[in-house]
Amino acid sequence: MSQELLSGLIARTALGDRKAFSALYDQTNAKLFGVALRILKDRAQAEDAIQEVYVRIWRRAGSFRVDQASAMAWLVTIARNQAIDLIRSRQPATLEYDDAPDVADASPDPEAQALMSGEARRIDRCLGELEENKAAAVVAAYVEGLSYQELADRNAVPLNTMRTWLRRSLIKLRECLNR
Amino acid sequence: MSTGAQIPDDEALAGEYVLGVLPLAERRRVEERMTRDSDFAALVASWQADLSNLDEAYQPETPHKGVKARIDARLFAEAARPAGGLWGSLVFWRGLALASVAAAAAFGIYTSDLRGPSGTGPAPSLVAELGAPGSSVGLIAALNPEEGAFTITPAAFSPDDGKSLELWLVPGDGVPVSLGLVPGDGGQLKLDKDLVRKVSDGALLAVSVEPLGGSPTGVATGPVVLSGALTKK
Repeated sequence: MSQELLSGLIARTALGDRKAFSALYDQTNAKLFGVALRILKDRAQAEDAIQEVYVRIWRRAGSFRVDQASAMAWLVTIARNQAIDLIRSRQPATLEYDDAPDVADASPDPEAQALMSGEARRIDRCLGELEENKAAAVVAAYVEGLSYQELADRNAVPLNTMRTWLRRSLIKLRECLNR
Repeated sequence: MSTGAQIPDDEALAGEYVLGVLPLAERRRVEERMTRDSDFAALVASWQADLSNLDEAYQPETPHKGVKARIDARLFAEAARPAGGLWGSLVFWRGLALASVAAAAAFGIYTSDLRGPSGTGPAPSLVAELGAPGSSVGLIAALNPEEGAFTITPAAFSPDDGKSLELWLVPGDGVPVSLGLVPGDGGQLKLDKDLVRKVSDGALLAVSVEPLGGSPTGVATGPVVLSGALTKK
């Protein structure tokens, strides 16, 4: 379904049109359930999450702006936020740093940088400018909704090191995306 | 954290928020800041736009068939479904605060020759092409902010006898406001200046079918037949 048709369904939903809302559900529930399931990794929880997601979509349809986001990106953002809020609500509310010393950055990996050249999309090209493990951390955080603690465990580095790495990676990524 | 100047700091924080790595308390703080700091909210929006390219990684999965029924039950359970397949939106409209209904009436259309906002500088014209899925454009609405008026060009849609078409604005706060009846053969709809300020790029316009003379309640009562978003001309 085209973004234009999805935008039209969201517009009608904003006006309280239930048929449009049902059509919007039919067109998008598999994708949004896929988002919730990937992050929550549990079907029952993911089903609870997308119920909440569509309640929010119904209530917030009026705030959708065609000039700011594609319709599907807007819907996925609502689903990601809901799923991430759910898993974060079961984790510590703040970051608890240990006293471990910072781990130094590994040297840049030229192979990973060469990998992503050519005609790749801007985001892929810019991720390719990061070291491989940093790019993988950014993607895993976004797609799987990993917390800082989970990223630190996965990379076997202290939490504060992980946060420094990721923040530096984000700033590099932003510089590249703005170029 | 030694990430340097304030701007990269905010840039990184906005990125952390969109990635989703922050603990819940920090997520709430970021969201609270977004509501009062539009520059920061713009940083978040641009991360969202850039990172949404990664959404392809999400494979569609089919949820249980009962999910939609549970959603409908939560949203619409208390609504008596109107007969005749009419627009099932009573809950939505009833849910609007009384104040917003009053505001809709107060900000309503003035056919007298009201001036548009003065001293606000020239704003860009906004145009919406309103249509229904699978059909051609039914109506074009172009806002001239200096005049404070919409120029309406109907294309291919007319209501049944005994019905009127009413134009609605869904502004940024999501609360629909009537802009008045669609003139049958086109022409100008003058807006109150408070209403002109609510009309912004990306806001949605929609047309509903109402009893002759327009909705008797100040909120839409009939089916939405056309809709479209306002964009800069």
